Amino acid sequence: MNIKLVLKLVGRVLLLEAAALSLPLLVALIYGETPYPFLLSIAIVAVVGLGLSTLPARQQFFTREGFVAVGLIWIFTGLVGALPFLFCGYFATPMDAIFESCSGFTTTGSTILTDIEALPKGILFWRAFTHWLGGMGVLVLTTAIVPKLGIRSHYLTQAETPGPVFSKLVPKQSQTSKILYAMYFALTALETLCLKIAGMPLYDAFIHAFSTAGTGGFSNRNASVGAYNSVPIDIIITVFMLLFSINFAVYFLILTQKWREALASDELRFFLAVVALATAVLTLSNLGVYSDLWESLRYTVFQVASIISTTGFGTTDFVLWPQFSQVIIILIMFCGASAGSTGGGMKCSRVLLLLRAIRREIHRITHPRSVEVVKLDGKLVSEATLHTLLVFLGAYVITVFTAALIISLDGESFAVSFSAALTCVSNVGPGLEAIGPSGNFAAFSGLSKGVMSLCMIAGRLEIFPILVLFSPSTWRRL
Amino acid sequence: MDIVIVGSGKVGFSLAEQLAKEEHNVTVVDSDEEALHRAGDQLDVMTVRGNGVSAATLREAGVDRADLLVAATNADEVNMVCCLTAKDLGAKYTIARIRNPEYTASVAELRRNLKIDMAINPENSTAVEISRLLRFPSAANIETFCRGRVELMGFRLQEGDFLVGSPLYALPDKVKKLSLLFCAVERGGEVSIPNGSFVPKAEDKLYMVGRPDSLDQFFRQLGRYAPKVKQVFLVGGGKVSMYLATILDRMGIRLKIVERSEARCRLISERFPRVTVICGDGTDSELLESENLTASDAFVALTDRDEDNLIISLYAMQQGIKKVITKCNRQNYAGIVRSLGLDSVISPKFVTASNIVHVVRGLQNSQGSVMNSLHRIAGGGAEAMEFTVGPGTKHLGVPLKDLRLRPGVLLAVIVRKNDIIIPEGSSFLQKDDRVIIIARGGGVLDLNDIYGSEPAGGAGA
Repeated sequence: MNIKLVLKLVGRVLLLEAAALSLPLLVALIYGETPYPFLLSIAIVAVVGLGLSTLPARQQFFTREGFVAVGLIWIFTGLVGALPFLFCGYFATPMDAIFESCSGFTTTGSTILTDIEALPKGILFWRAFTHWLGGMGVLVLTTAIVPKLGIRSHYLTQAETPGPVFSKLVPKQSQTSKILYAMYFALTALETLCLKIAGMPLYDAFIHAFSTAGTGGFSNRNASVGAYNSVPIDIIITVFMLLFSINFAVYFLILTQKWREALASDELRFFLAVVALATAVLTLSNLGVYSDLWESLRYTVFQVASIISTTGFGTTDFVLWPQFSQVIIILIMFCGASAGSTGGGMKCSRVLLLLRAIRREIHRITHPRSVEVVKLDGKLVSEATLHTLLVFLGAYVITVFTAALIISLDGESFAVSFSAALTCVSNVGPGLEAIGPSGNFAAFSGLSKGVMSLCMIAGRLEIFPILVLFSPSTWRRL
Repeated sequence: MDIVIVGSGKVGFSLAEQLAKEEHNVTVVDSDEEALHRAGDQLDVMTVRGNGVSAATLREAGVDRADLLVAATNADEVNMVCCLTAKDLGAKYTIARIRNPEYTASVAELRRNLKIDMAINPENSTAVEISRLLRFPSAANIETFCRGRVELMGFRLQEGDFLVGSPLYALPDKVKKLSLLFCAVERGGEVSIPNGSFVPKAEDKLYMVGRPDSLDQFFRQLGRYAPKVKQVFLVGGGKVSMYLATILDRMGIRLKIVERSEARCRLISERFPRVTVICGDGTDSELLESENLTASDAFVALTDRDEDNLIISLYAMQQGIKKVITKCNRQNYAGIVRSLGLDSVISPKFVTASNIVHVVRGLQNSQGSVMNSLHRIAGGGAEAMEFTVGPGTKHLGVPLKDLRLRPGVLLAVIVRKNDIIIPEGSSFLQKDDRVIIIARGGGVLDLNDIYGSEPAGGAGA
């Protein structure tokens, strides 16, 4: 294990984060708030980053180093992001600050705050900005900005880009990262503009655009998007939540005018089908809660988009919906967004592949000698990919249940413990009952918050980098 | 440049590695998932899975916008069809690997009809390389420039050579008179460019460039002049051996080939009636001895296993054969092999990749000064390049003493019409000169790249 090179890499990312911290500093200065939490954080991060990035290291970098680097970078990023929260004085314990920061970077959007509106604007800006940074990935950003890392950056971005198969848009990794961030930036800017036109204050428009882009869910209002009670704003945010949960490769195909290939994507069709079906069923199921069909549709479609994109904004409290509706919410929470998007969850392409693999297995039972391959987008999916997929599913489920087990020590109901674990691993945000859209995570113990923070990072990195980090075999010399 | 490589085998992979290192946008196409994974994991390239003859696959790989397509699968026919399809889709330049000896005779027609811009034959290039080494047995490596008017040779110094222990500026006059220059030295795996105060040591590998007759003269003075090779002992009867036999047979060199497969032996015997063909295991020392290995002037190990080649080469060297040439595809262990004393190690994939990289560089700067040839020396640690000075070249007519060259770059030879000039402080460049540049570590793509960053002296015309 070439730990020195890994730490050096961590140092570089920290330097980038120190630079990112200057944006909320600017916001704090504009609104005449105290800049000290940010100045202090920037100083600490910059010193640690500089110290680590000047470490002398051999240039040996293999898969193992790649995985460890990704895991460590995300843990460090979460810790460092908590510094402004810690210094601002609005968070009761350091664990709360860490929870909030991890929730931000992993684009989960769960919060321990009871009164969000009491916080200074600079802190709330940083809280939403962590969503934006974490959404497309801090490492993707690093490979886009730092010209020569001198290592196979492929390993890093691969671990950070969700989905069963990783593919570049263009041959060079740095170029791919640049294109991804350019599209990400453009979409975010477009949303900010739309929200501003729809009547949101500029500051709020930025916060909500960052949150939507990263599919995070932090708002600067206690009642989330529901606070604006505006149909145009609901529609804009719904559309953009769905846009950000589509594979960015699709946008690249559209930009290069390959419309047919873009629209032929199996995952895109599956995702849209799930959204349409869930909306239809939930609208009907929720008719009893709302006065008419249109109102039911308005609140339901927003909530479906918010949960399947793993954003977690709320315009209504789905805890008040019928039990049937709540189970559907849990199901789409599990399904999640598309591979290669900023959303979390299992990812639609995985669910689709899983369904196809199950269908093949059934065929195989009825025709024991049949030979059948699984395809995605008309292309053969290798048995190795399918195998990894099944193992991933297993690891995902085990992680959720283990986390639920530890969280249940707090004595909450099964629905709360389980939905807390699932919402963290899937990076959604709200859970059921006490931690629903209008509740928060403040009541949990420090242990539970620590486990949930780790679960969020594990979920964002798709489990394995974190498991590798804690596996003894990674650290053995031979 | 946008480059598509079809086939991620030995040649395809090492080519992709080279080109990705030189900042090109490389896409690798292969139907084998495992081979693709290897390329995708280790190199900064994009991978596309599929058959290289399918237009859909090629389009997915972006052939329509590609500046160059290299078809290097193991099937000649696939490579040819692939190039044809790619040209139709809009690829600007295509290179096909065509190595079946049956096609070699008609390669010109094939190229014309299939619109292939260049055909490469790794086995034939390797054979040509080996034949050159056999023609000049004193040197461990030899490269030629300006149609053979300038040569570059590498040789290993031994204890007791008059060069050892005295700096280069203090060499005897009879050496200084010769038209040659010591241009690179490899010591313990490190490559450097020597200056006048450089003191050679035994076991150094020195590279010199100059007129062929001067180089010959130098070897005579060194007492290392080996007479012409007349008899060659060859183990392994594959494609390289066939091409090599064709060349050596024409040169009138007597050949003995040991090959294990009887069918193969018959084929060789049918094709080359003057060659002695022995059917047997070339790795068996008893067979080699009974076939009187020691009587030959040179030994070439060409079996398809690297390990066998290395072992029997060491054996031949121990038996006192002056010139031993080894085929070894794996480059990772080149350092170890050299430390054992095997100096002439040839890697077909290395030779092929070098040839293509040279073409790519040529395509890249087709407007500036033209690179005529490129040779990688000292195990890839340095490059020797021949350029033609064009109107775009900077600092024409400025004496070299007023110019600052980039560190690690040497202007080794200027060829002006029929004169071969070893540059001094007062020498200068003029249009249509051909120059030979040695650069440590590579990175010189254009003649203007040799100048240092600070402009020293007046800028030329």
